[in-house]
Amino acid sequence: MSRVFITGIGVISAIGNRVAENHAALMMGKCGISRSGGFPSKYSGILPYGEVSLSTEELKERLHINDAGITRTMLLAINAFDEAVQDAGLTSSQLTSGNTALIGATTVGGMCLTDELYSDANDVNKHSPFLSSYDCASAFLYMQQRYRMNGLINTINTACSSSANAIMYGARLIKNGFATKAIVGGTDCLSKFTINGFNSLHILSSDVCMPFDENRSGLNLGEGAAFLVLERETDTVNKKVYAEITGYCNTNDAYHPSSLSGAGDGPYLAMKGALAEAKLSPGQIGFINAHGTATENNDIVESNAMIRLFGTPPAFESTKSNIGHTLGASGAIEAVYCILNLTYQEVFPSLHFKQPITGTGLQPVLSFKKTALTHVMSNSFGFGGNCTSLIFSKT
Amino acid sequence: MAAEELKQQLKKQVIEFLNLTEMKPEDIKDDEPLFGEGLGLDSIDSLELIVLLHREYGIIIKDPKDGRKILVDINTMADHIEQYRTK
Amino acid sequence: MFYIHQTCCISPQQTYTDPDINMLVESAGNKLTVIEPSCEGIPMKVLRRMNKGVRIGVGAALPLIQGLQELSGIIIGTANGGMEESILFLNQIIEYNEGILMPGNFVQSTANAAASQLSLLSHNKGYNMTHVHRGTAFENAVIDAAMMLKENRRHSYLLGAVDEISGYNYKFEQIEGWYKKEVVSNKHLYKSDSPGTIPGEGAVMFLVNNVKHNALAKLAAITTIHSENAMTVKHIMEDFLTNHVLAEGNIDLLLTGEDGDNRFEHFYLQCEALMDSNVTVARFKHMSGTYPTASAFALWLACRALTSQTLPGHMIKKQGSQTGYKNILIYNHDKGKQHSLMQVTITADGVHGKTL
Repeated sequence: MSRVFITGIGVISAIGNRVAENHAALMMGKCGISRSGGFPSKYSGILPYGEVSLSTEELKERLHINDAGITRTMLLAINAFDEAVQDAGLTSSQLTSGNTALIGATTVGGMCLTDELYSDANDVNKHSPFLSSYDCASAFLYMQQRYRMNGLINTINTACSSSANAIMYGARLIKNGFATKAIVGGTDCLSKFTINGFNSLHILSSDVCMPFDENRSGLNLGEGAAFLVLERETDTVNKKVYAEITGYCNTNDAYHPSSLSGAGDGPYLAMKGALAEAKLSPGQIGFINAHGTATENNDIVESNAMIRLFGTPPAFESTKSNIGHTLGASGAIEAVYCILNLTYQEVFPSLHFKQPITGTGLQPVLSFKKTALTHVMSNSFGFGGNCTSLIFSKT
Repeated sequence: MAAEELKQQLKKQVIEFLNLTEMKPEDIKDDEPLFGEGLGLDSIDSLELIVLLHREYGIIIKDPKDGRKILVDINTMADHIEQYRTK
Repeated sequence: MFYIHQTCCISPQQTYTDPDINMLVESAGNKLTVIEPSCEGIPMKVLRRMNKGVRIGVGAALPLIQGLQELSGIIIGTANGGMEESILFLNQIIEYNEGILMPGNFVQSTANAAASQLSLLSHNKGYNMTHVHRGTAFENAVIDAAMMLKENRRHSYLLGAVDEISGYNYKFEQIEGWYKKEVVSNKHLYKSDSPGTIPGEGAVMFLVNNVKHNALAKLAAITTIHSENAMTVKHIMEDFLTNHVLAEGNIDLLLTGEDGDNRFEHFYLQCEALMDSNVTVARFKHMSGTYPTASAFALWLACRALTSQTLPGHMIKKQGSQTGYKNILIYNHDKGKQHSLMQVTITADGVHGKTL
């Protein structure tokens, strides 16, 4: 089985529209979460969000896209996809090759058009140009056509672990010979739908989120997208290579539809499985980009699972303190951040942390540091008990 | 409304809101715990019962943790409703 | 690739218990809706939160996983999973003006609701994946299962697909002209010569692993094609046939997803033309109706054809000269955009008296 290398990255989030902007913001410990809100919801401007600074119109202009049925979810994805493909230096024939796969992830899909969908679904006399844009696959069907891609195309939706699973699926396609390159990632935008959903579960914080803090009061929603170009080792001779995907594992907590078990079997088994896949021992992981949503449930369970596996966990942080929880995009965005950790041999500060959780005593990284890193882990957990851990390694 | 009548109505509403289709109001005892043993409801149900109290009786519970004291059984729910209902 | 050991199917036909597909259940109101079994075995506490899609998905999976000692994971393809529940939550958002809302619909609105309910019910902490790429959602699940079984030779997986006709998707597809405007019975679907088809739904589950002994069938090869261009589709199909399919011997049955939509029939005719003249051609959408993961129903039928060595007359489009079925090719496309080919072959010891 071929080794899988990452040769291109692209990201857009509340702290920047490109990788370089995200990197600078992470180094400075910039928080992109604010009460400004450009999306249609009663809670826009009231609750804090990690909103991308570009409006939907600005994104369309920037990307020269004016097709009917285009959603913000798609625009964010295209912005990050273009950057990743350019970064990897893929030629158009490489992009359209039958051996180049596109694996996308999203949970919101076209549901960001909450009002349009309501009217389309309930009003018998009216219909918008978005009828076939609501489902999750629509974003990646559109992209496949836009870039005339001919390889394997897939959309994964396992809630908040979706794009971590897209990365894993892409890597496995290459290892198993179904593709030689895979462009993998995820996208989600802020929407009335998810805001009200998380609000109905009482897990949205009315203040800026405080991952791994004793007094955390819930998550902030964010939006964004990230894509990674994966290539098999033999195709990367004389190419810039960021990192290797060495470990991945998906498990299910099998406990509850929307919360993790106290024992944290799902997170524990995912991290353990990823280590086994990478043939690493816990002590070899230098840093973890934790799921760290700042909900009461996630942070204690994830902390305990890390303690259970690592004894003393390695340095960790939650970049959700910078950009909020970007749902289906979070696994891919955090993968890009892990690659920055490895490439520049540095860790970024976790923000808004004051006091360790009673009983765990764990403290995330609190200041920017240069440090030697060989293997870093990224955790993503989602509704339905879906848990995924990825490991990226220096080449 | 008489206390008994309220409890009857409440049981019907609990069945409807939580989609307990196979249950009848008389299957729920007034002092049967809603969570854990008894009906065995879970945390999502508790949030849905908070919505019930709001939609049917105009009672707002901001912190779900406060709900736990109110949502013990039909008796405690009915007591709370009688005391705080706004509709 | 891998072997199929057990399968269970909830469809508009009598496929769940004591399958009898000789008698064709007729469509009603231009739709083919599933015959839903009673949900014994699903605890009421769990059942009350399930919409139809999740219910039939779980219903078709339970007979395969109940009492099963070793299940390594659950891999599901669904195009519309969770969407019906999403609409219910959306309606609440608008009707209560983003006020205090019931979270149940939101929690169940994730596409992975069926896969996660199955993990809960079977206490399965293994791999749990949900593929949602519309017309190739099931095919991606198949590819995923094939990779898992290559990576883990001794594992067994639950592989399946589920989609339902829901109010919203029915309306959208209808507006976009995917359904027939005139009244058409499934009995006359292929004679209709008009645009559109009749919608269907279903849940089909398979237990798959690498064990040849006692298997119902082998899923030998798969490919997906993403193109609206007939020539592109043809070329990829020819490559696939030459490089993968014919290596296993000659095809004796082509099972196509022809669905009465005269705008896209040419794709199926093109595929038929690639077959030798002695190949039998059969169709299945008059049984299942059209839905994004209907190819899973075709795979169920292929297993049945291989184990029973017969197919009902109403499926046959063209009777070939070969007798018996050993090597089946399934070709299906969704809206002329997403195409797939699956090759299903007989296993030497699978044919003797084994029934689904």
